[in-house]
Amino acid sequence: MDSSVFDNNLIRFLFLFGAAGGLVAFFVALSAWLGPKSMNETKAEPFETGMIPKTDARRPFPIKYYLVAIVFIVFDVEVAFLYPWAVEFRNLGAAGFISMMIFLVILLVGLFYAVRKRVFEWK
Amino acid sequence: MIPVSLTDIQGVLPETIVVIAALAVIMADAIRRGHSGALLPVLSVLGLAAAGAAAIFLWGTSGTVFNGTVFADGFASFFKVLFTVIGILTILFSPHYLKITGVRLGEYYALILTAVFGMMVMASAANLLMLYLGLETMSISLYVLAGSQRGDVKSAEAGMKYLVLGAFSSAFLLYGIALLFASIGSLDYEVIGTFFASDFHPGPLLVSGLALLMVGFAFKVAAVPFHFWSPDVYDGAPTTVTGFMSTGPKAAAFVALIRVFGVALAPASSLWSGVLTVLAILTMTVGNVVAIRQTSVKRMLAYSAIAHAGYLLVGIVAGTKAAFAATGYYLSAYALMNLGAFAVLILLNRRDEGSYRFEDLRGMGFAHPLLGITLSVFLLSLTGVPPTAGFFGKLYIFSAAVEQGHIVLAVVGLLNSAVGAYYYLRVITLLYMAKPEGESIIVQPAAYRFALVISALLILVIGIFPEQLLRVITLAVP
Amino acid sequence: MWIDLVILLAKIAVVFAGIMTGAFVLTWAERKQSALMADRIGANRCAILGIKLWGLINSLADALKLIFKEDFLPPKGLRVLHAIAPIFAMFPVFVTFAVLPFGPPLQIAGKEIPLQILTLDIGLLYILAFGGMAVYGVMLAGWASNNKYSLLGGMRGSAQMISYEIIIGLSLIGPVMVFGTLDPGRMVVAQNDLLWGWLPKWGIIVQPLAFLLFLPAAMAETKRAPFDLPEGESEIIGFSLEYSGMRWGMFFLGEFAEIVVLGAVMATVFFGGYQVPYLFSGAEAASLPGFHFPWGGYLPLGEWWIVALRVLSFGFKVLCLMWLQMQIRWTFPRFRYDQLMRVSWREMMPLALANIAVTGIVIMLVSR
Repeated sequence: MDSSVFDNNLIRFLFLFGAAGGLVAFFVALSAWLGPKSMNETKAEPFETGMIPKTDARRPFPIKYYLVAIVFIVFDVEVAFLYPWAVEFRNLGAAGFISMMIFLVILLVGLFYAVRKRVFEWK
Repeated sequence: MIPVSLTDIQGVLPETIVVIAALAVIMADAIRRGHSGALLPVLSVLGLAAAGAAAIFLWGTSGTVFNGTVFADGFASFFKVLFTVIGILTILFSPHYLKITGVRLGEYYALILTAVFGMMVMASAANLLMLYLGLETMSISLYVLAGSQRGDVKSAEAGMKYLVLGAFSSAFLLYGIALLFASIGSLDYEVIGTFFASDFHPGPLLVSGLALLMVGFAFKVAAVPFHFWSPDVYDGAPTTVTGFMSTGPKAAAFVALIRVFGVALAPASSLWSGVLTVLAILTMTVGNVVAIRQTSVKRMLAYSAIAHAGYLLVGIVAGTKAAFAATGYYLSAYALMNLGAFAVLILLNRRDEGSYRFEDLRGMGFAHPLLGITLSVFLLSLTGVPPTAGFFGKLYIFSAAVEQGHIVLAVVGLLNSAVGAYYYLRVITLLYMAKPEGESIIVQPAAYRFALVISALLILVIGIFPEQLLRVITLAVP
Repeated sequence: MWIDLVILLAKIAVVFAGIMTGAFVLTWAERKQSALMADRIGANRCAILGIKLWGLINSLADALKLIFKEDFLPPKGLRVLHAIAPIFAMFPVFVTFAVLPFGPPLQIAGKEIPLQILTLDIGLLYILAFGGMAVYGVMLAGWASNNKYSLLGGMRGSAQMISYEIIIGLSLIGPVMVFGTLDPGRMVVAQNDLLWGWLPKWGIIVQPLAFLLFLPAAMAETKRAPFDLPEGESEIIGFSLEYSGMRWGMFFLGEFAEIVVLGAVMATVFFGGYQVPYLFSGAEAASLPGFHFPWGGYLPLGEWWIVALRVLSFGFKVLCLMWLQMQIRWTFPRFRYDQLMRVSWREMMPLALANIAVTGIVIMLVSR
């Protein structure tokens, strides 16, 4: 079989990106070109269901989101560790399995702690 | 993957026990939701005691486990025992302090345990990456501990400052490790040692790596001029945590220094011993001189902690087995006396705002004999008066330095000890030479008194029989 | 050389056209299905010269309307971020499909042409990586609009999406352990094996719990009912409040395209991809292409028939899974936000971890 530059995943990847990017850009451009343009002071205000906005939207918001984000990072990293292990699972044998279970148990303690600290309870 | 054997697990038995204890404490705290009474400290002390027992049980083993990344030798075991002692003493002092400051944080005990775990990993690391992992585990726990008095502005500031500067110094250390790896191709101490023992060329990559590594360590042990974080952090952190922070992590960092600079990098000592000498002189002098001018006893002890790091650096510069043994001895003595001194201060502090002024100590020696005597023992030992442990620590370190021809270092160290005597003894004069202002009732919980007496007795015992402890450490020194 | 380029572009065109058509039809199907379920008549007003095509013209009219509407950039917001946010909603969806095989490799003139754009060893990670990018669209849209409702909608949306992303990641571990690969192509090949000689080794049969966890988590990622809290169409106003025209449409085109892509991912991982049970090509079954039934029957089929059947089977499976998502969307009421977070972290997460543990134990017992 003769090989060609298009067998290279990176090249294919670039073409794919170009195509998807082009498609998306096309949609953005279409609306920007064809739509009408008009602007006035009232329209420039953020739409807050008819109320006149009094303050900027850059305000503090509940810290719960931050906690969820932190817990997400912890467990997303865990998932990242799990994938290579899952692929090689059969070759690692019982020792590999037990090691990962210990890791999971430690993280489960963390999850339990977060649950008991009411990180996931929203009023 | 290299299969994990039973020997590997056995080598890290103390660490494993500490982690299990920490997890149990977290679980207990989470289940009881902060209403756990004495359960958490009891669990923590039991865990640490078991870990210490395991470390003693492992005494006499040698070599490395986990594919050469972890030392399972006597030196590691010795320091693991020391760390568990530091942890247990801190925890014995803590419930009372947490009560009077109104901190209700179950995580406090779990964090002390994880910090002890980190120190243990640092002490037994045989690989720079393992060292870094231990260091980070320890540091991150300490950042939170320093800021754990959440209602207090100073504590919050301490936590934040410690986090920012600690992360900064960790980055230095990591960068140094990366550069060393780039020029040597391995992170194992053993390989690094053979590399430097052979005919190597000190290229810019290697030298800058060493420099960054040294800066990282200097930050961690708070050596001048990388000490700026430590007075504020020590001052702002909850006092029990200050005692813990100024002893455990320092000991852990010095073990790592001995293993990395003292052993692995020993053949290349011409590259770094000069810098370390200057650091040691600066650290001793600045720490002592600034300590004189403090108006708060807590802050004075914070600066004196810097000075002690300077004395300990002399041991690293001297670079012989005897010097390392002396450093180990000094670290043990220092841990007991510093922790004890902070603990007595907690009880004697009569104001709520945590100011620890000298006036508070006026005449307390006669009003509260136990506190007066124990604090005097701790301070005399910090000064270095025989027959306390502090005296022999200094003696061993300086004589090791003189043996290696570092006369200047020894002389500067002795002069500094004299300076230290001024501010330490001033406290003792206040304790006994003045009349107390009014009546004072000080609550002294049993566990607290027990821990104080034990620390003071231990200082006297290893001060009166210094040879025994020194011999034990000398046997273990790598 | 040039033929390779043509093949590559053709594959990209087929995939994109498939997704676009799917999304287009879904906008119509959604109305028709909801109308049917609510006993209404549904979209039937738009007509060209009296031809209504069962309401399909409505979708066309929608697209035209979106294109010709004003493209509003809020002058008080962050205009650049506001402008690029919809790109993050749509772009990753189209790119994700590339690693999924939509048919068996073709053998033409001694050349093997895999029917997938990228043959990646780490295909599943690629899917997760680009799937995770969608959260940026919601975040950026909410933040850049400088509108409190948008901001809250964006925060709600991102918290929801990251919570369920963990479940997606964890639930796919099980199939990876069973098939021992991250490459969707090899995963599909492995799923043509038979368990005990008669049961196709599809993902849903060896990993039923993983599928039950993946389906709702994936639907939460599409932000559609019953997980439509970031942008509750009926009454909540969410992250896309300050959007109009086609850039608003892109968020929702992205959503519909995501339904197609998720259908394809589920078909690949859990429903045997392009495989038809008991159908083997010549290379797989000792030069006897065709159906090999477990009771011993054999139905010969030409190689090209097999390819056609398999491509059709993939399409059919994706259609069924799209229908399933629609059905769920119109059957269940919306979750409350506290329920949403609780289900993900406190209920699905331990289940997903338990699934991994049980899978590991079973595999070790079986392979012993």
